[in-house]
Amino acid sequence: MKEVLAYPANYWQTMYEIWLFVAVLIYLVVFIPGAYFLVKYRYRKGINEKAQHVHESKALEVLWTIIPTIVVIYLATQSFAFYRVQRTAPEGAMEIKVTAFMWGWEFEYPNGKKVFSFFNSVVNPETNAYLKPEEVNDMFKAYIPAGTPIKVLLTSRDVIHSFYVHPAKVTEDAVPGRITHMWFQINQPGEYWVFCREYCGTQHSKMAAVLKVVPKDQFEKWLNEGMQTSNFSDKQNL
Amino acid sequence: MAAVSYRPYFSAGLKEWIFTTDHKKIGIMYGVTSLVFFLVAGLSALAIRMELYQPGLQYMGEDTYNQALTVHGVLMQFWWAVAIWSSFGNYLLPLMIGARDVAFPRLNALSYWFFFAASVLALITLLPGNHIRMMWTGYPPFSLNENAGPVAFYALIIHLLGASSLAGAINLVVTNLTMRAPGITLKKMNLFLHSFLAMNVIQILGVPALAGAVTMLLMDKYFHTAFFDPTRGGDPLLYQNLFWFYSHPVVYVMILPAFGLISEMIATFSRREIFGRTSMIIAIWGIAILGFMVWIHHMFTSGVPDWIRIIFSYTTVLIGVPTGIKIFNWIFTLYKGSVRFTTPMLYTLSAIFMFLIGGLTGIPLGLPAFDIAVHDSHFVVAHFHYVLGMALTLAAFGGFHYWYPKYTGRMYSEFWAKIALVLIMIGSNLFYFLQFVVGLEGMPRRYADYPAIESWIRLHELQTIGAMILGFGVFIALANLILSTKFGKKAEDNPWQSPSLEWLVPSPPPPHNFDKTPHMPEDWDPYNYEWLEKQHKKQ
Repeated sequence: MKEVLAYPANYWQTMYEIWLFVAVLIYLVVFIPGAYFLVKYRYRKGINEKAQHVHESKALEVLWTIIPTIVVIYLATQSFAFYRVQRTAPEGAMEIKVTAFMWGWEFEYPNGKKVFSFFNSVVNPETNAYLKPEEVNDMFKAYIPAGTPIKVLLTSRDVIHSFYVHPAKVTEDAVPGRITHMWFQINQPGEYWVFCREYCGTQHSKMAAVLKVVPKDQFEKWLNEGMQTSNFSDKQNL
Repeated sequence: MAAVSYRPYFSAGLKEWIFTTDHKKIGIMYGVTSLVFFLVAGLSALAIRMELYQPGLQYMGEDTYNQALTVHGVLMQFWWAVAIWSSFGNYLLPLMIGARDVAFPRLNALSYWFFFAASVLALITLLPGNHIRMMWTGYPPFSLNENAGPVAFYALIIHLLGASSLAGAINLVVTNLTMRAPGITLKKMNLFLHSFLAMNVIQILGVPALAGAVTMLLMDKYFHTAFFDPTRGGDPLLYQNLFWFYSHPVVYVMILPAFGLISEMIATFSRREIFGRTSMIIAIWGIAILGFMVWIHHMFTSGVPDWIRIIFSYTTVLIGVPTGIKIFNWIFTLYKGSVRFTTPMLYTLSAIFMFLIGGLTGIPLGLPAFDIAVHDSHFVVAHFHYVLGMALTLAAFGGFHYWYPKYTGRMYSEFWAKIALVLIMIGSNLFYFLQFVVGLEGMPRRYADYPAIESWIRLHELQTIGAMILGFGVFIALANLILSTKFGKKAEDNPWQSPSLEWLVPSPPPPHNFDKTPHMPEDWDPYNYEWLEKQHKKQ
């Protein structure tokens, strides 16, 4: 089995596949008889000028009430089972606090280290076009250890935003006055997008940040870098 | 019933239009206003699509984009998807039940003029300095922020529309329940009438919640109350609850009448009664009632407790059952029918086709395990454009063509109507199907710009091309309808040979509709096509 890029995206993927199978099946169950009836019972002069009388069929109607009911209840229950995992961070997850604001993100790590990412730090200042994740200045990137579950505690400083981790396929709103939560884990080092998904004004579409996923030892090094010399807080005051 | 040669609308003067209490004229005024705003909203959609064609901002700034999207959302929802049914309801409901007018004709005129006032306010927000940029949802605390624009306009527009909807809804419910001609029992009512009844009941129950929400918003913003402002102890989620308590049921206000139109047309052109008519009526009310119990699925990621999300995921997917019943019944209405592929029938079949895709993609949005990845993504946008955007619009356009001879006494051009439909179907499926794909890949909604991810660019390019084809198709369909009022062939009173009561009056109907109250015989039924043939033989 090949390594999963990110958790809990694998649960979403399974849910997606189950749904897609059911949806295509239902689609065919409706479409094939529909198309057949359209051809077979089309108006033809002298052959099929008049409809015949079939008002209802109790058996059919009971059938297409009960079967869909069972199908949707199964889907909801399957989703319930997956959702518990998607919402419950594994034991020992690293907690980071994410505070959204117009328009950017503040990431706070367990040791107090903070990273700020602003809407204008993900774009080319001259063209105002999105940079590639690798082109963004490392200073604005939130470092994440690979293969480690991360629990995110979310809130907002002003209006409602929404924290969407692109590879992990999880979204949760950042609501001012509340703390919401989510978790994810990215297994392959690389640079990934985080987007704001709740409309928040002019720069909503640039309210992205880059997660730089690095091996654990590299992450530890980065995490303690600014803290020892306390240069980090000076940098922030700029 | 001899053909009448006068043309009641075309010969009416301006004064007559302004002071009219005739349900047919009011229906047409609703329809024209609705279509004008449909075009404005459609053009803003094309502007949005042009901007998304490539990453980067080519044609407009973020603020203009956000305003265009707000305009598109508000106008399409309230002026097209809701108001177009006021047009159909006003015009057709009294005719179908054998009444001379609605129960309260003056209230009906007032309800239109409230709507007109809201329309004027909406146009004022298009002027520089009055731009609203908070999307149609207007979530606080953002809407309390300067960035959102003059929110008071929005609140007043919603109040005027709400007053208009409430007056119209009460009027049509009372008309439907008390003014049916003898012989039209509840059981023999057209499905059109049943769905309009359910839709209006939803309006009466739901509008106050939205009116309350925007009033509180207005007070928070201008009178410094603290309902929604968390910095002063308010709760922003309260607004979302109130807003969606109305705004989810309102999607059934939009789609139930479309179901009604689909039922009328599919029965007429299959020449037989709707399959499982009783279960259709039960399904309509099932949808209407369940519709009030699912609103949290709009808030699956908003921070409400997880157990509430799970409960609402069950109620949400259960809506699929009555909706499924309706689709199965429509398909089986074709069974052993004598299907005629006229333009309205083709629009109807297209609407069912689009609704099926829209419905099947709506189910996973009710599953939190799926929704967690696509909430507020383009997947959601594509889903509601399949159901509300396309199924509704196709049903309404089908209705325009179906009742066109009744409204105008003329026939549209079959050729151009079919060309338009082909373009609309190609364009919309190219557009919205790829919107699902880009949504699954994670594209967030309400984005003026997006990162240059290769597959996203390709998908957006094709979507924009689809949107242009769709726009062109809509343009041809409307041009055909407008030009045919002058150049169309004269139509018979009952070109589709339907026994439904609106077809038994001359086209266009005289101002008083019926010379005397019709008494419908025992063997009459709006879908009893043989009854009509027997009547012809008798004459």
